[in-house]
Amino acid sequence: MQTGHSIWRRILFNVFAWTVVLLISFPLLWMILTSLKPQSELFLIPPTILPSEITFEHYQRLLTETPFLTYLRNSLWLAAGTTAVVIVVAALGAHSLVRFSYPGRERLARLVLFTYLLPSVVLIIPLYLFMIRVGLVNTLASLIIAYTTFALPYALWLLRSFMAAIPVDLEAAALVDGASRMRAFIDVILPQALPGIISTALFTSILAWNEYLYALVLVNSDEVRPLTTGVMSILITSFNIEWSLLMAASVMMSVPLIVIFVFLQRFLTSGFGAGAVKG
Amino acid sequence: MTGITFEGVSKRFGKVSAVEGLDLEIRQGEFVSILGPSGCGKTTLLRMLAVLQQPSEGRIWIDGSIVNDVPPSKRNIAMVFQTYALYPHMTVAGNIEYPLKKRRVGKAERAARVQKAATLLQLEDLLHRKPRELSGGQQQRVALGRALVRDPAAFLLDEPLSNLDAKLRAHMRAELIRLHRRLGCTMVYVTHDQLEAMTMSERIAVMRDGKLQQFASPQDIYERPVNDFVAGFIGTPAMNLIAGRLSGTAGDRVFESGPWALPIGELALMDESASGDAERRVRIGIRPEDIMLDDTGDAARVAVVEPAGHEVIVVFDYHGNDIVARMGADVRLRPDDVVKLKLRVDRLHLFAVSDGGRLNDDVAGGRNS
Repeated sequence: MQTGHSIWRRILFNVFAWTVVLLISFPLLWMILTSLKPQSELFLIPPTILPSEITFEHYQRLLTETPFLTYLRNSLWLAAGTTAVVIVVAALGAHSLVRFSYPGRERLARLVLFTYLLPSVVLIIPLYLFMIRVGLVNTLASLIIAYTTFALPYALWLLRSFMAAIPVDLEAAALVDGASRMRAFIDVILPQALPGIISTALFTSILAWNEYLYALVLVNSDEVRPLTTGVMSILITSFNIEWSLLMAASVMMSVPLIVIFVFLQRFLTSGFGAGAVKG
Repeated sequence: MTGITFEGVSKRFGKVSAVEGLDLEIRQGEFVSILGPSGCGKTTLLRMLAVLQQPSEGRIWIDGSIVNDVPPSKRNIAMVFQTYALYPHMTVAGNIEYPLKKRRVGKAERAARVQKAATLLQLEDLLHRKPRELSGGQQQRVALGRALVRDPAAFLLDEPLSNLDAKLRAHMRAELIRLHRRLGCTMVYVTHDQLEAMTMSERIAVMRDGKLQQFASPQDIYERPVNDFVAGFIGTPAMNLIAGRLSGTAGDRVFESGPWALPIGELALMDESASGDAERRVRIGIRPEDIMLDDTGDAARVAVVEPAGHEVIVVFDYHGNDIVARMGADVRLRPDDVVKLKLRVDRLHLFAVSDGGRLNDDVAGGRNS
């Protein structure tokens, strides 16, 4: 009786879970399938699920006839640059918020979180004007600065909970053993905070990789456009949408993220767990 | 001047005072325990010595120079933490080697010294393990190894045995004493366990509420506690403290508590003149082993009997007070038995109720009488 009941529960649970998985993954599957279909098969009614003939011509066209590779390079630079800046600042900042005592420390931490609550649209005009004034408009640096403004608060809070979980004595031991403060941070704190740093880095790079609005406003030449706005500008015009190229581009945009995820997934889940427990 | 000196050292956290006006002189090569209940400031004292905290006032001297502003990395002091604080991502060898690396000791010498420390602490087989693969006792030894590998001027030990089980603790206690004898360096040992302090130290500093109460040898502290706090804190079972008043003049003084009057004429007060002849409120203290069955004594009713094998701890109702006595294992008593008890007046301790300070001079005749 008991076992029969639990089997039904498991079956129901599995049916439900797989339905959700299918619903979520269908657009992705459709994207991959479409990118492999020949042009002639794109608009068939009824549509074919599996392509009758697999072709890589869209990928080839994308790489040879469009500035896709330039966009890809820009996006990689953006993700790497933003992540580097955010991780360095957030790791040091989080350590300071956890370990040092100074007046207004808690208030500062909350203020940082408050900036995160502002919708990014609100900041876009002031940031644009600021970039013009410092002469950074239309550069990758302007986007790195912009992305940092909204990735940093979250990163700071995530890392803060990680750092708080590291025993104070570890750092004290390193100091007594002859390390300087910075050395103790590098030798002892950073290795302990590594899972947190990796998940924060992952979060930041995904954010920078997928960002669209700021990229659209702050940057408008092909030389510095990232993938998100670049792909849109070449493949979607008022007259025509190059569906097969668009799908091929989308697949290629997803690949770097998927690769990173596969390698770092276990850190990411442990990161979310730690954040949750610490509150 | 070698050794460690605290000179009027205070430490405040906001309005809370953790250590107040501390004067303490630790001799070179001495094993000193800082003993006190939780929150008495003993760990703060140790952290100031390690410069993990700055004193709010006063000066700390190590080997003849003031070290208040010397960063921890420049002081040759090693510390063993209560949590051991082993670096989890490094191997045992890496942990022990770390302080040498930070002091830019050459690679060959590093290896030799790690090996030497490992041999001393029987860690040779564990050098390639990570701390999480070690038992509590092994972790403890690694922490010790990391401290002694660089020949520090002083060892600071912050309750290093409190995370071990009773058997291992007794073993490590003996190990530490042996280690101290072999290395001959200054050790400052913080503990709340009086047994550790009594058995290991050459001198004990008893602290309470951030203030030093007494700094003396274990025997002195046991036999001549300077106040009722030290008297009650040291010794198991604790010293019996009974409140009452003092009357009479020198030579035929009497302690009175309710209807009970105890002549204590043979006790000499430290400051006879200050006591005057007026009645004063006092507390007498008597150790459990200074209470004897004696037919010439007063009646006492047995309340609780706790046999402990080699001895029996008995709680008596004596003149309306609960007093604890330590009896030989051959004494057979049962609850509600009525016996005659006598206190050894020559071993009484007398404390003022007002400030708890000791009133009588040395225990008459000393311990060996």
